Amino acid sequence: MSCEEVRLNLLDYQEGRLPLEAQNALRLHLDGCPGCTRAGAVEQELTRLLEHRLPQHPASLALKRRLAARWSQPAAPPSWWHRWRASLTPALAAAAIVLLAAPVAYYERAASRTAREQTAMVAEAVNDHLRLLASPRPLDVESGGLHQVKPWFGGRLDFAPVVAFEGDADFPLKGGSVGYFRDRKAAVFVYARRLHPISLLVFRAEGLAWPTRGTTRINGVDASVASERGFNVIVWRRGELGYALVSDVDAGELTALAGRLTRSPEPKGPQS
Amino acid sequence: MSTLANQALAYVDALHNLARYLTGNETDAEDLVQETYARALRAEHQFAPGTNLKAWLFRILRNTFLSSYRRQRNDPTVGGLDTVAAEPVSAASSDWLLGDVELDRLRKVVADEIEAALMTLSEESRTVILLDLEGLTEVEVADVVGCAVGTVKSRLSRARAALRQKLKDYAR
Repeated sequence: MSCEEVRLNLLDYQEGRLPLEAQNALRLHLDGCPGCTRAGAVEQELTRLLEHRLPQHPASLALKRRLAARWSQPAAPPSWWHRWRASLTPALAAAAIVLLAAPVAYYERAASRTAREQTAMVAEAVNDHLRLLASPRPLDVESGGLHQVKPWFGGRLDFAPVVAFEGDADFPLKGGSVGYFRDRKAAVFVYARRLHPISLLVFRAEGLAWPTRGTTRINGVDASVASERGFNVIVWRRGELGYALVSDVDAGELTALAGRLTRSPEPKGPQS
Repeated sequence: MSTLANQALAYVDALHNLARYLTGNETDAEDLVQETYARALRAEHQFAPGTNLKAWLFRILRNTFLSSYRRQRNDPTVGGLDTVAAEPVSAASSDWLLGDVELDRLRKVVADEIEAALMTLSEESRTVILLDLEGLTEVEVADVVGCAVGTVKSRLSRARAALRQKLKDYAR
């Protein structure tokens, strides 16, 4: 590989976007070429500058509100209910109060408890991700591919984590480790998006309050997307396993990874 | 609100950021983002499920900018590629020193300077740099800027070289 080719591909090399063969050829060239090594350091510094110091201009709250209002669907045409509601409303309201008050109160208590538990799940996922980032040795097993990471969990967990996505150029698999999610052991798969680590926690789903409302369908799976302390979190359940995906990458990118992870067939259950 | 609309609104910050760097001011950036969403809503049926929604929105935003905003404003900073000659590639010892000096200068650059330097680049250079920062793949960037996939790499390389050139002036 010539210096010219190396310079053209330096950025892709640093972002891990080259095919393995080209990645190795470029690394070999850099080992013996001080000029290209320096050029690589300059590219890296420019990337760091752009990622950390370039001012970001997020949309104002006012713009977000305007867009949300404009994008809402048009109202449905008046129905028979609109024509008759003036005369029927008082009688129905009385009946509704009697019929609904008790169930609503019960439902609200249950919904509130579920919401609290779901918030706790999101907080737990973020804490687990932060623990991983702060750990001096975040990966117990470095990735040489999913076929190296998954078998490593054998004997370390009381279930077999069902994850079929091996990583790709956009989301390379970096490795894995064993962690805890609330009161149970979890397999932690670490992917990356550019320089951002992404944790995927896989754990037994039973006994946890899984979201049933406000979910987003991803490949037929009901997933809950939330934010906490600047991190985005997506949690879902498939079969008897629970999944929590957490990172500081934006929600759209995290959803894209969730799409790749949920593309595989549904697991039948944790295999002990 | 439709599912697509709901998902699209999640990208408003990224779209606004690009719009701000394309137009150079807040008012025009907001107008551009609103027009982008209006067009996207009208073209919702054209979005292919399973493809990158964010890249699709970026493409609409850039096309909107090029087709209407640029024409109205007659912005002289919007044009083709920056004319930066490819850096001479040499493994000579001076290349070492140049790398060190440039590295030192880059480390001293502050936020306002990098923003100002970026704004002096052509629209196309600003766009490819920002789309790359947003994590779009070369295929997606090619789709947004309307060029061949193989061209994206060289355009990005030239754009970053032009930016480094500008930053040298700020960091002296």
